Amino acid sequence: MASLTALVVKDVKQLLRDPRSLTMVLLMPLAVMAMFVAGYGEERSEVPIVVVNLDRGSISWQLIESLRSSGTFKIVAYAATMEEGTELVRKGVAYAAIVIPEGFSDSILSGQSTRIVTVLDAAYATVSELVWQSAVIATQMFMKKASELYGTFYIDVERQTVYGPKVSSVDSFTSTIMGVLLHLVPMSLIAVSISRERERKTFEQLIMAPVSSWHIVFGKFIAYALVTVADMIVTMAFAVYALGVQVRGPLPALLAVSLLMLLCSLSIGLLISAASRNQLQAYQAAIFVFIPSMLFSGFFMPVELLSPTARLVSRVLPLYYFLKAFRNIQLRGWTLADVSQECAALALETAVFLAAAVRVLRLKVD
Amino acid sequence: MLLQACGMVLAIEAVNLVKEFGSFRAVDGVNLKVEEGVIFGLLGPNGAGKSTTIRMILGLLKPTSGYVKVFGIDVEKNRRGVLSITGYMPQHFSLYEDLTVEENMRLYASLFGLKGKAAEERIRELMDEFVLWEFRSRLAGKLSGGMKQRLALAVALLHNPKLLVVDEPTAGVDPPLRRYFWEKFRDLKRRGVTVLVTTHYMDEAENCDRIALMSRGRVAAEGTPLEIKRLAFGGDLVELVVEGDPRRALNGFGARLVEFEGNGSYSRVRLLVPDASEALVPLTKMLEGKGVKVVRAYPLPVSLEDAFIRLTSG
Repeated sequence: MASLTALVVKDVKQLLRDPRSLTMVLLMPLAVMAMFVAGYGEERSEVPIVVVNLDRGSISWQLIESLRSSGTFKIVAYAATMEEGTELVRKGVAYAAIVIPEGFSDSILSGQSTRIVTVLDAAYATVSELVWQSAVIATQMFMKKASELYGTFYIDVERQTVYGPKVSSVDSFTSTIMGVLLHLVPMSLIAVSISRERERKTFEQLIMAPVSSWHIVFGKFIAYALVTVADMIVTMAFAVYALGVQVRGPLPALLAVSLLMLLCSLSIGLLISAASRNQLQAYQAAIFVFIPSMLFSGFFMPVELLSPTARLVSRVLPLYYFLKAFRNIQLRGWTLADVSQECAALALETAVFLAAAVRVLRLKVD
Repeated sequence: MLLQACGMVLAIEAVNLVKEFGSFRAVDGVNLKVEEGVIFGLLGPNGAGKSTTIRMILGLLKPTSGYVKVFGIDVEKNRRGVLSITGYMPQHFSLYEDLTVEENMRLYASLFGLKGKAAEERIRELMDEFVLWEFRSRLAGKLSGGMKQRLALAVALLHNPKLLVVDEPTAGVDPPLRRYFWEKFRDLKRRGVTVLVTTHYMDEAENCDRIALMSRGRVAAEGTPLEIKRLAFGGDLVELVVEGDPRRALNGFGARLVEFEGNGSYSRVRLLVPDASEALVPLTKMLEGKGVKVVRAYPLPVSLEDAFIRLTSG
């Protein structure tokens, strides 16, 4: 028992004597909760949808009003045909199209059952679920009200997705998994690289050779890139060929976007490495960087539906650009040209982080 | 001073070096002048500020104040210039343990700009000199302590530096290897290399041409080992064994009696003289002249350790 107490006392003391790490450990939960509240706690923005009203009567407008007043939807466009509506969803203008069929008003007046169609963008599983449920509720509200006026009738809500009947959950979560792998793994791997050299004293010998911080940063960057790229390709091949993940766009485009994300993660990791004194600090910093990325880059919910603050934060997160580009290529079948903006953002961030790492790295010992 | 007047440049010139870590002054106003081609020892107990001083000399640490010049080059202003002529062997093994002997040597050869055949030849040369050839494909981490030290020294010498800085090369090293190292340093000196070496073993500091004794961040004394000892004791110690009691005969001679031991017929005395080699013959003659028979007369070796303790304890 005495030994146990002695060990506990020793470990508590050791924890307290690394103030940098301790601050991170204590601050992390607070910071994460604050970020979460700031991003997700505020009134949620409305989901943009397209309405395709093929009905010539007036009752359909009461349904549209019911959808609008549900608080979930923001009608951004009215399309004349179902094809046009679907195209708007495909382009990413709206997350869903709600189609009211021809003769909708007549069916209700004659007490027949009819159906409306929700065309969902399955690229975001959580959003399409939300859209569909809200559409069902809004329709039920409408039915309740309208049946007092027009007698009994029934409206069925049919569910479709822009990419065929259904996107499997494996497909829709591939981007998330790839995001985690391409962000966290290379970043934490390289984050400890320079601090490990410091701890093992090899840094002291290394900086006695005429090398510059530029040499050290790019030396690590290129070496880790070569090794992790191989890993990335294997992972991707496994997903596509073994798990049968569907890729609607060109596979090379998907690889290019993934490569950019990988390089960007490495550059962030290098900046962390250049700034940290020991491996523990570097590791914690890597996790600390990863959490906001997870919250604000569209992991759970498209950033566009979060608070304005969250949207602002997302714009500096490489993972945001990656997920957007990856999903658009994989699920929507976009090409590399369509995601050139996201690619440019990733490349720019990589350059900025690398330059910062070169600047921050000091060729001195403690 | 004389050397500078002749236009010669000092290998190391450290001026008013101060290094503070928070409120702790690890180095407190150190001044050093190391002439080219000498083995200079920085001597002192652990924590005296030796390693901190050499790290500032090498530009690994930025001094809080003061400056260092290596062969006239300001270390903080032109570190690269200093690195190309300086080799460093740190206290702890600092090469890559997950690379082989050969890979470590190749890496540093490239970093120092050695290419192709020149690099091959230099590596082979050093491998032969330091008996590393048969271990060339062994991981550095799997080497014995002595082999690690030899590899570290070989790497430090890859680019033929004019100045070799060695931090505690003999800490935790067995006696044969210690001797080997000091032979190497003397060998390097013959080839014109200036060697700055730190150690807390006082006995091996006798091998240095000049030493600076460090204590609590300051230089307590500087000079040749002999000068340091004279400084500590105020001269050299000589011992004489004579017949009878010589104390009266010694009066008026320029020697201070430190110790006396007599049994009536013989006595043993220890005397402090300015210079043992000059004093012994006149001293013997003087005593014989006064009828005191001298049985034996010899200089008494004093250790640097004794000198150090005298110099720092008061």
